[in-house]
Amino acid sequence: MKKLIFVFLVVFAVVSVFSEVVNPDTFFYATIGEPDTLDPHYAYDTASGEVLYNVYENLIAYDGGSMADFVPLLSTAVPSVENGYLNDDGTVYVFPIRKGVTFHNGDPLTPEDVEYSFERALVFSPAAGPTWMLFEPLFGTHDIESMVEEYVGAAWGDIFDADMNPKSEYKQALIDFFNDVIDPAVEVEGDTVVFRLPKAFGPFMNILSQSSHWSGILDKEWCEGLGLWDGNADGWWKHHDWKKEDSPLYAQTNGTGPFKLVSWDRAQQKVFLERNDNYWREPAKLKQIVIAGIDEWSTRFAMLQSGEADLITTPAEYLPQVEELANVTVMSGLPTVNITALSFNWEIKPESKYVGSGKLDGEGVPLNFFTDENVRLGFAYAFNYQEFIDDTLNGLGINVPTVLPEGFLGYDGELEGYHLDFDKATNYFKRAFRGQLWQKGFKMTILYNTGNSSRQRSAEILRDNLAKINPKFKVEVAGVQWPSYLDARKNGTMPVYIIGWLADYPDPHNFIFTYYHSSGDYGKFYGEAFDAFARRPQPEFGGRSLNKMIELASVDPDPKMRQKLYVQIQEFVLDHGLSMALYQPLGLRAQRSWVKGYYRNPIRPGEDYYSLSKSE
Amino acid sequence: MPLVLIGVTLIVFSMMQILGPDKLLSAYVDANKLDKISIEEMEQLKDKYGLNDPLPIRYGKWLGNLVKGDLGWSIVGKEPVTQAIIHRLPYTIELALYALIPILGIGIWLGIKAAIHHNSWIDQLIRIFALVGWSLPDFVFGLVIILFFYVGVNWFPPQNLSNWAETIVRSAEYHQYTKFLTIDAILNLRFDIFWDALRHIIGPIITMSWLWWAYLLRITRSSMLEVLRKDYIRTARAKGLAEKEVINKHAKKNAMIPVVTVAGNMVIGLFMGVIIVESIFNRTGIGRFAARAAQQLDYASIMGSLLFSSVILIVGNLIIDISYALIDPRIRLE
Repeated sequence: MKKLIFVFLVVFAVVSVFSEVVNPDTFFYATIGEPDTLDPHYAYDTASGEVLYNVYENLIAYDGGSMADFVPLLSTAVPSVENGYLNDDGTVYVFPIRKGVTFHNGDPLTPEDVEYSFERALVFSPAAGPTWMLFEPLFGTHDIESMVEEYVGAAWGDIFDADMNPKSEYKQALIDFFNDVIDPAVEVEGDTVVFRLPKAFGPFMNILSQSSHWSGILDKEWCEGLGLWDGNADGWWKHHDWKKEDSPLYAQTNGTGPFKLVSWDRAQQKVFLERNDNYWREPAKLKQIVIAGIDEWSTRFAMLQSGEADLITTPAEYLPQVEELANVTVMSGLPTVNITALSFNWEIKPESKYVGSGKLDGEGVPLNFFTDENVRLGFAYAFNYQEFIDDTLNGLGINVPTVLPEGFLGYDGELEGYHLDFDKATNYFKRAFRGQLWQKGFKMTILYNTGNSSRQRSAEILRDNLAKINPKFKVEVAGVQWPSYLDARKNGTMPVYIIGWLADYPDPHNFIFTYYHSSGDYGKFYGEAFDAFARRPQPEFGGRSLNKMIELASVDPDPKMRQKLYVQIQEFVLDHGLSMALYQPLGLRAQRSWVKGYYRNPIRPGEDYYSLSKSE
Repeated sequence: MPLVLIGVTLIVFSMMQILGPDKLLSAYVDANKLDKISIEEMEQLKDKYGLNDPLPIRYGKWLGNLVKGDLGWSIVGKEPVTQAIIHRLPYTIELALYALIPILGIGIWLGIKAAIHHNSWIDQLIRIFALVGWSLPDFVFGLVIILFFYVGVNWFPPQNLSNWAETIVRSAEYHQYTKFLTIDAILNLRFDIFWDALRHIIGPIITMSWLWWAYLLRITRSSMLEVLRKDYIRTARAKGLAEKEVINKHAKKNAMIPVVTVAGNMVIGLFMGVIIVESIFNRTGIGRFAARAAQQLDYASIMGSLLFSSVILIVGNLIIDISYALIDPRIRLE
């Protein structure tokens, strides 16, 4: 027996040494999770985005790590006023389509493919998907349903039966809707594709650029062959809002990108990509890419240590562990495009369970509590921003003045944000409600979504600080399930909400509009009092309203002017205490030192494998 | 059997229903998307996936589809549940079968050794070994194995195969006849891949083995001790039979009856107990699938895994009953 074990171990040792294959052509990324879907018009997560980024291509791309400069990709030019491809005050974009490009199946790229890709996105438009980003610049709305309802003059539910068959009286109107509204927005003209916007929209190029896989270019012929929409006006509605798994693009791709999808092995949680040797640019240096979902941190760590993985996803708490590894490069403090902020409800609904008595009597808060600027500013100066980042996020965060992340157009490091200042907070609170608040105190509940420990911690810090400022300031912190959280926000019963936003595209509009415009994704929940405030002419803006300023900043074609406008907006926002930007998280990357060619672009979902190579 | 299955599935289905449609929806929405989703979109999604339907209707639909062989869509598996199970099953069966060899062989051997050398230092040593194995959680032991045998000497890596082997297995020239990595490798005459697959399976096997060894050797030991005290053993010895013959011919076979019960249950347990090992070693299989389904409240996958486990349990117990009869003809007569 002993002999047998000895022989076994020796054989193993020998074979192990010889089976150590160092493969410089293969890149192995051990990460968490896996794609949600590979349909570019459904996917809205970074894991899917990473695969799509490397397989499909867009008309234009970001220039390396920049989030503001573009280079042509499937278009041969980046539209600008100078080159004559951006016309009519920034409302007509012309893209000359590159010739000689083929899809992975060999089909040539044509301008018709480009038109088809965008129209399919608009028609398909799945609920909770990314295509609202195309609706905003092209039609000034967020979804196709509301447009159809307006055009047809009937509610969506009345137009269609359960199987999405339209009632006979609406069928022609639906066909006309496509021909009159959707089709003219993106048109082929000769060798070019032309986008016509109702009004100028600053971030449009960002939305079209690579990283925004919803603007990736599909092969029309191939899609039709798979049973996807055929490009005709008649019957487009049958191809609207399918279940994720029903889309034939769910697990197969055919792009023009530097890598082809070999397989998405869902049993093994692995995506295999291989180099596209017929790529229109120089083929990639890496031959094979493996993106593996490995949920266990210790396994990922061991794989990096052994060299089997070239790159691993590393949560912030494991930074010290990876820093100790030899032959591993660790980059920490990498910028992200994510913000978490606390916003105020200016008009809490009377049925709220979170406002105590609902009166300014020390046992609750009045429903208009946060319309008083002094209350908002008092809260803003009662939070330890930097300490929170150091303690709760292990220092991996930035204390930003407003919700605009560092690195974005309009970000100004000179802007003085809020900091913990008990004296200032006390002064503001003493002025609030003509001194009554200070005398009587208040009681309210701050909610967080259960499981989100950093949001919970920030609410607790605020609670403790407010109690230190005045023992009569009583805040309870309560966790609720996410749907209840959303419900409370929608119903206007939540006094304040702590919520994050991950950039869809790297333009200030994506954050400023979301948080500060009274129609923004979050701003619309601040109540009618805020809406009135945001529409009111303001002396700081020369008589323009906050909403108007945000709209102007988004459409101005001059980046310098936009920068100025966004700084002005942020100064106003800070002066009036519209929200408390709690933190912008920072990223962390641990890779083997033989990985070369990496550059950071925070908006890119995952890796740009085209730029990477492996060498000692 | 169908009644048992209906009972089990109904209970679990009802338990999951307590969570309500809002919570169940979280399985369908990517975590990053949650901040941005609106209430209207949530309602739209709930309708789309039928989460607003009352329990009897949803259960009825599930049963109706089950009859058609459709277990629904697996969110974690990203394919239909039936497919998800079929695709993962060969990996788990292969692991369980390979694990059985050392578990049964060494476990029983140790148990008999301990019984024969009752109260000697060998017995004490084996009992300590059992105690440690029984007490050590497999997620800790698995990590120790990875640390020592993978990071340390690179013998037993995690996953199913190395990258180079994986590339060959995926190529058109390689035929996956049985979907068992080791058997396919032999059939393709790729002994390098066979060796690679074996290296990858050893870590999980060692991890699982110690726990089961501990269990099995204790049962074997006590059963053997009991048999050794029986009159017919004394008679055999009195007849002057050699000790080896007494043990092998008379004691061992009779001591095996309780062991078969345990071993049978152990096979069932191996199928279900791979959850941790498959997760730690990042191996594909039913266990990891079930664990992820439970974490993500993916009810279609949970129900599918449950159904699968129930079938294994029922069939497994049937096989155990049959094996009794084979070992002890008296049971058959009764």
